[in-house]
Amino acid sequence: MTTAVEMRGIRKVFPGVVANDDVDLTVEEGEIHALVGENGAGKTTLMNVLYGLYHPEGGTILVRGQPVQIRKNADAIALGIGMVHQSFKLVPSFTVAENITLGAELRKSIFVDRKAIHESVVDISRRFGLEVDPDARIRDLPVGVQQRVEILKTLYRNADILILDEPTAVLTPQETRDLFGVIRSLVAGGKTVIFITHKLREVMEISDRVTVMRDGRVVGTKKTEETNPAEIARMMVGREVLLRVSKEKSDPGETVLRIENLKMRDDRNLMAVQGVSLEVRQGEILGVAGVEGNGQRELVEGIVGLRPAVGGKIHLKDQDITSLNVRERREIGMSCVPEDRYVRGLALPATVEENLIVCTYFKSPMSRGPLLDLQRIGEFANEAVETFDVRTTGKDVPAFTLSGGNLQKVVIAREISTHPDFLIAAQPTRGLDIGSIEFVHQRIVDARDNGTAVLLVSAELEEVMSLSDRIAVLYEGEIVGTLDAENATEEGLGLWMAGITDEKEARKEEVHGV
Amino acid sequence: MSNTDKSSTQASQSGVLATLQRSLRGILQGSVSILLSILAAMVVGSIIMAWHGQNPLEIYGLLFKGAFGSQRSIFISIQRATPLVFTAIASTLAFRTGVFNVGVEGQFFIGAICGTFVGYAFKLPLIIHLPLTLLVGFLGGALWAYFPTIMRQRLGISEIITTIMTNYIATFLISYLTNYPMRDTLTTPETPPVHESARLVQFVELNENLGKGSQAHVGIFIALAVVAAMYFIFKYTKLGYEWRMVGISFPFSEFGGMDLDRTFISGMLVSGGIAGLGGIVEILGVWREYKNLFAIGFGFRGNLAALLGGQTILGSTVAALFYGSMEAGALGLEWAAGVPRQLIDVIVGLIIFFMAAPGMWAFVRRIRWARPSEEVRRTTKELEV
Repeated sequence: MTTAVEMRGIRKVFPGVVANDDVDLTVEEGEIHALVGENGAGKTTLMNVLYGLYHPEGGTILVRGQPVQIRKNADAIALGIGMVHQSFKLVPSFTVAENITLGAELRKSIFVDRKAIHESVVDISRRFGLEVDPDARIRDLPVGVQQRVEILKTLYRNADILILDEPTAVLTPQETRDLFGVIRSLVAGGKTVIFITHKLREVMEISDRVTVMRDGRVVGTKKTEETNPAEIARMMVGREVLLRVSKEKSDPGETVLRIENLKMRDDRNLMAVQGVSLEVRQGEILGVAGVEGNGQRELVEGIVGLRPAVGGKIHLKDQDITSLNVRERREIGMSCVPEDRYVRGLALPATVEENLIVCTYFKSPMSRGPLLDLQRIGEFANEAVETFDVRTTGKDVPAFTLSGGNLQKVVIAREISTHPDFLIAAQPTRGLDIGSIEFVHQRIVDARDNGTAVLLVSAELEEVMSLSDRIAVLYEGEIVGTLDAENATEEGLGLWMAGITDEKEARKEEVHGV
Repeated sequence: MSNTDKSSTQASQSGVLATLQRSLRGILQGSVSILLSILAAMVVGSIIMAWHGQNPLEIYGLLFKGAFGSQRSIFISIQRATPLVFTAIASTLAFRTGVFNVGVEGQFFIGAICGTFVGYAFKLPLIIHLPLTLLVGFLGGALWAYFPTIMRQRLGISEIITTIMTNYIATFLISYLTNYPMRDTLTTPETPPVHESARLVQFVELNENLGKGSQAHVGIFIALAVVAAMYFIFKYTKLGYEWRMVGISFPFSEFGGMDLDRTFISGMLVSGGIAGLGGIVEILGVWREYKNLFAIGFGFRGNLAALLGGQTILGSTVAALFYGSMEAGALGLEWAAGVPRQLIDVIVGLIIFFMAAPGMWAFVRRIRWARPSEEVRRTTKELEV
């Protein structure tokens, strides 16, 4: 076996900080190499160096045994290196085929040869078993398919070393499984994959070898079969990580939120929530599991008041809130950690302080009459930063200077410090590192213990199972079933998530599946 | 445990310092980029002048002298800058609430004509007449901003298009008004003069030696009061917070429970109002009657000044004062050297062109193999976790 990539002594310094310090990485040809570490460990920096986006201060890179100079992105692409970034670089209004070929279009004299493009995309997607509709527009596609398009983009440019930067952060379990299938078939076809993640389960499942980074250095490289999640976790954080949340049995009180036959439409005006009824009681966590895109987003937006219900009723503390606006609902005692933290949850150019007061600035004690009480706000912000352990140089820095985990702490601080009666936590740990996940989980459990009714909506089955007291499964806009968390099994929930409730059908599926 | 406590207090102490340092660095970086832009614009301007057969150094010298060289030129600078401060603040306010109010031009005119009408049609004591006239000017501008606002809110039509169109309507409407119903003299299309009780005093009227040869007037104090008020509103009030947040992110503000429509409409109306106020102040201070097409371009130059000033209240004010004095300098230039006044517009245009090209600066940095600062900040923070 030959080496696909060898990076030796890579050093990348940003003003005041060493992002990569004498980093060695060897990736064999045809392997799936997991690159793990907490946020800020330097994984993405290292890959950006390899992909020609950063210029290292020191070190050498060898591709297929040959020393190479990667001065710019195009050099890396010419060497057959492709990268799928965490946030996709796609044009939403273009079709799949247009996105894949953008910048490398087949031409007929000065015109783009649409037919040839279409055919080449069909050909390449068939060759690698990556099904896509070349004529669909990106904005109409679910995230998982968009990612497939990103992968096709690199394959179209003849990449045979693929870097996937936290590809599963935005995926549902189902999509993740599909992605793993794709990765395996790519490797079977002779490609090499570098897989950045911080989910240990994925490392164990997919990778051949794993390199762990911490604080800009490589801690070690192991064969996956010779290691275990606990060891990798220790290497990542330098301490034992609590992989399960410690919580007492719940002691539920009165019903706080009651939804009756709620119906919601999605952006395409299709019925996304088709008559959901559920109850959340004081001091309990109701987890909503389900493959993403089964109405979770619309359900949450409907409860928060960002999207009008087309049918049904929502009651909060015995008040009918169905026709109230966001602020009125918040004032009754609702809080929400939104799914899309960078769009809804935060205003990135605004300061940490400004982000912390968006749902309380208009009332006492944050303001008096038309004026903001800047002193009180400052005290509150400092308090929140301290209590919620937000790592920032101050409350007056723009939010975008914080890392993902700390940004989520800002959101949680804002939504929990109002002591809500009802809290929605939608995908609360998506894309976070282990330390932050643990913190967020603990805060949610704490809120429950303080008597908050919590609705947890998550695509992470493990998260739903370890946090919830009761679990409801959403499938195609309907609740397939609800059960106590202690009676839940991964297999059983998995079947519900696939819409299978009948015993016989379940058995049939087991025989045919896998 | 005590270890972490200590480090956290250290962190908060160094945090204050770091914030200070960062803001200082930010200001420094901002000024450097403005200065570089000005320099680049001056270089390109020199080429144009040299091509025109003139000595650029001499011209820039005259320009500077025309702007600041004497008491008179300073007062002319003030006179030229006064309306620009209003329009620059109006544009900045709109920018900050997330809209591009190209209609400042039209709102300026409508405010001026509405105020002018109150100024000549009624006879009232000064204490009522002047404030009333100013108020009507403000309301006129706000009204003119209302149509595009409502079209965007109800029908989703881009305010950039509708405000441009309402500018044309304003121009022709006023042409009609000054030619027919409001026309006073037979020779030129202009309204009757506003009464003494509605005028803003010129400095030269207060004291003969103060700004002799200029028409600078006390309206500059109204302009500065508007600046102070807007600065205060942005920083210390709920409304200002709402404007800023809605300007930064609609989805975020909506999620936080803000009334987007109300915030957006109020921002646009106040923006139009300030533009209208600027219009009537210019009339009451300098012209004292409405001459058709009396001051084309103040609105657009206000837009430019807002861009030049980085869309902050104080920055835009400084930019407006700078722009005004350059115009004053250009006037002197025209008399002294026969260089067309429009040259200054070319140079300001170039400055904005150079400033508005962050891609270009990024390109310059890339040549030096350095990194764009934003990425640096992000990564720095990530590593501190």
